[in-house]
Amino acid sequence: MKSMKTSAPVRRAGAAALGVAAVLALAACAPPGAAQPSEAPTEGETATGTLKVGYISPITGNFAIAGQEMVDGWNLYWEVNGNEVNGVTVETIVEDDAGNPETSLTKAKKLVESDGVDVVIGPLLANTALAVAAYTSSVGIPSLQPVAAADDLTQRQANDLTVRTGSQSGSQTNFPGGQWAAGEGHKTAVTLCPDYAFGWESCAGFKQGFESEGGEVVAQYWFPNGTSDFSTYVSQIQAAGADIAFVATAGGAPGPDFLRSFLGLGLGGSQELLMNCCGMDQATLRALGPEIEGFKSVSYWAEGRDSDAVREFSEAYGEAYEGKLPSANVAGGYMTASLVAAVLDENGLVTGEELVSAITEYTFEDSIFGRVSWDEFNNTVGPVYIREVQEVDGKWVNVPIETFEDVDQWLGKDPEEAMQQPTYSQSFQG
Amino acid sequence: MMLAKLVETRTVRTLGAPRSARTRIITLVSIAVALGIALALPYLGTTAYVISLVTTILIAGLLAASVNFLVGDGGMASLGHAGIAAASAYGAAWASRQGMDPGMQVVFALGTTLVVTFVYGLLSMRTSGIYFLMVTLAVGMVVFGLAYRLSSVTGGENGITGIRRPDFIAEYWTFYYFVLAGFVLGTLLLWVVGRSPFGASLRGIRDSESRMRSLGYSVPSYKLSAFMISGIVAGFAGLLSVWHTHFVSPSAAGVHRSVLLIVMVILGGVGTTFGPLVGAAIVVLVENVLSNSVERWPTVLGLIFILVILFARAGVVGSLQKLFRRWRRRSDGPPGEQDLLENSPTTDSSHTA
Repeated sequence: MKSMKTSAPVRRAGAAALGVAAVLALAACAPPGAAQPSEAPTEGETATGTLKVGYISPITGNFAIAGQEMVDGWNLYWEVNGNEVNGVTVETIVEDDAGNPETSLTKAKKLVESDGVDVVIGPLLANTALAVAAYTSSVGIPSLQPVAAADDLTQRQANDLTVRTGSQSGSQTNFPGGQWAAGEGHKTAVTLCPDYAFGWESCAGFKQGFESEGGEVVAQYWFPNGTSDFSTYVSQIQAAGADIAFVATAGGAPGPDFLRSFLGLGLGGSQELLMNCCGMDQATLRALGPEIEGFKSVSYWAEGRDSDAVREFSEAYGEAYEGKLPSANVAGGYMTASLVAAVLDENGLVTGEELVSAITEYTFEDSIFGRVSWDEFNNTVGPVYIREVQEVDGKWVNVPIETFEDVDQWLGKDPEEAMQQPTYSQSFQG
Repeated sequence: MMLAKLVETRTVRTLGAPRSARTRIITLVSIAVALGIALALPYLGTTAYVISLVTTILIAGLLAASVNFLVGDGGMASLGHAGIAAASAYGAAWASRQGMDPGMQVVFALGTTLVVTFVYGLLSMRTSGIYFLMVTLAVGMVVFGLAYRLSSVTGGENGITGIRRPDFIAEYWTFYYFVLAGFVLGTLLLWVVGRSPFGASLRGIRDSESRMRSLGYSVPSYKLSAFMISGIVAGFAGLLSVWHTHFVSPSAAGVHRSVLLIVMVILGGVGTTFGPLVGAAIVVLVENVLSNSVERWPTVLGLIFILVILFARAGVVGSLQKLFRRWRRRSDGPPGEQDLLENSPTTDSSHTA
């Protein structure tokens, strides 16, 4: 009793050091009983005929709207078509990561180690997607990416078990946009993109496409995420005096905000404009429809395309969601679901590497995106549409006016060469 | 200069009322029981997921403890500690991406931690209160900005993946023990520093900067040293976290994360030894486990925070301690020896004899 008090810190430090030593000794000699968890989840799947899917998406936080749409698209397919394909039941567990990579990883671990899922789908944001894909591949679980656009997911950080299923990479989609702009006879261009990886990739794609056809990008501007007043950027675009302006946003408020400034400063009639997928998506069209009739954009998704698959999808979505038309995020979820269904229909229950190769060897002839196949880095190779805002049956939709088939992610380069470049940034645009 | 001061301060007593023998034994026993459970955890049939969750809590707890040290003893609330941990993580990640072995990762992590912490300390050592908050927030944002924009080094928003930890802690359970040992050592370090004359002087500065200055203390150098100690613990937590997740991205340095650290500290109890751990456990469990079943989990976290602020100002651990003290006073009936001691700091030396 007495001794405990008189020399507390020293004595306690000693005791703790002893404890630590004991820990290390313990840890060194006896592996705990839980040494077999990595193999547990992969058993018992063939027997039950169930494909267990873990679906991670940011349902709360800053990206909640996009995240919820991504889940809606996935659920919609199974609600319409039933969750049984060719005797295989598809069971989905949805987890929220709030757009935080650490939470994403914990959720992925929970899904794989506790729930024993066969495949992890999502999440939405580039950094969360890369973190989860690295983890799932390390434990032998396939990862499907319905929305994440990061180039590196299927380039520098590609792995055998990660497949981009419901979108294209940032530079891939916008490369044909540049080619188209140059083909229309525009000689000079100015670009405005968000100042982070997605924006750098989008602008790099456009710039390389434009320059490959002989055009010249005279100025590039970048806006920080969270910008709501675009008037200075619009003035800069006006001052640049280029034949065409290319403007990309990552979706949400910046699209309509930019266009309001653009129209407000009277550029609507005088400045040619090409926007990207997400700047001119349904949210923008619902807000500004009549004012932006005839405006053009470039994307792998076109809700106004004349095809049975798109019509079926749009009608089902409209029925479930108050007559709304689906955005690219919904399409990504739906596309991934229809792809999984198609693969299960052809092969029966496949998991692990077999599921991945079943997808990447498949050619999805009549998907909602058109004819899509996969390259050896598991990225989508498919059509890119130049779209125009038109009114169809009282709704404003993006109708394709030109199609670039079989667009791959290499922007006309050799894969080796493309991956040796630095990653895109303000200072490196390819 | 500092050394001379250390000797002088031995006579300063700001340790508060000495605790009675019984309280001390109860504390020690509960620590031992908690440590015992933590040690046995992997053998109790828990899955790798649960162990990984506990590992997350321990790492967050250690990081929160480094913040708690500054707030509790120094009265300096830092809104930029996530930046320090992230700098360390980026150091290790960059080394790993260059193909260096884990030993070099540690060297780089330590290097970036020291440099970044020193910058934090230099910029903030002459400030206090709200100004300290703003400076740390600003430097934290600089770290975030660098991580976000310097994409050739940091991978930009995509971050750096595939960071490998040393082979001897490659297994999830060996890593768990490693983190547990790191947590115990880190907590012990902060505890010892907090109880040392240096800690006493720091509390003196917290309570009255002008008085300490007039007594001849170099307040800025004390603050800088405190920041360096806290920063090294934070950097260690950052290294552990990058070894745990094999991954780092700018969000690790974001304001959001720094704010959560302050939330952890307040939830657990500012200035308590184990408050940060309890706070970290609450936040991590709400974020990762409650969110499985409750869609509005951020609201739940907010409600918990409000309730703690309203009804348990001293945080979970701090309030429990208070409650325990009150309960003992009542159950002891007539004022006994312990009670006297608790209320009269001056009688300290008498009861040890």
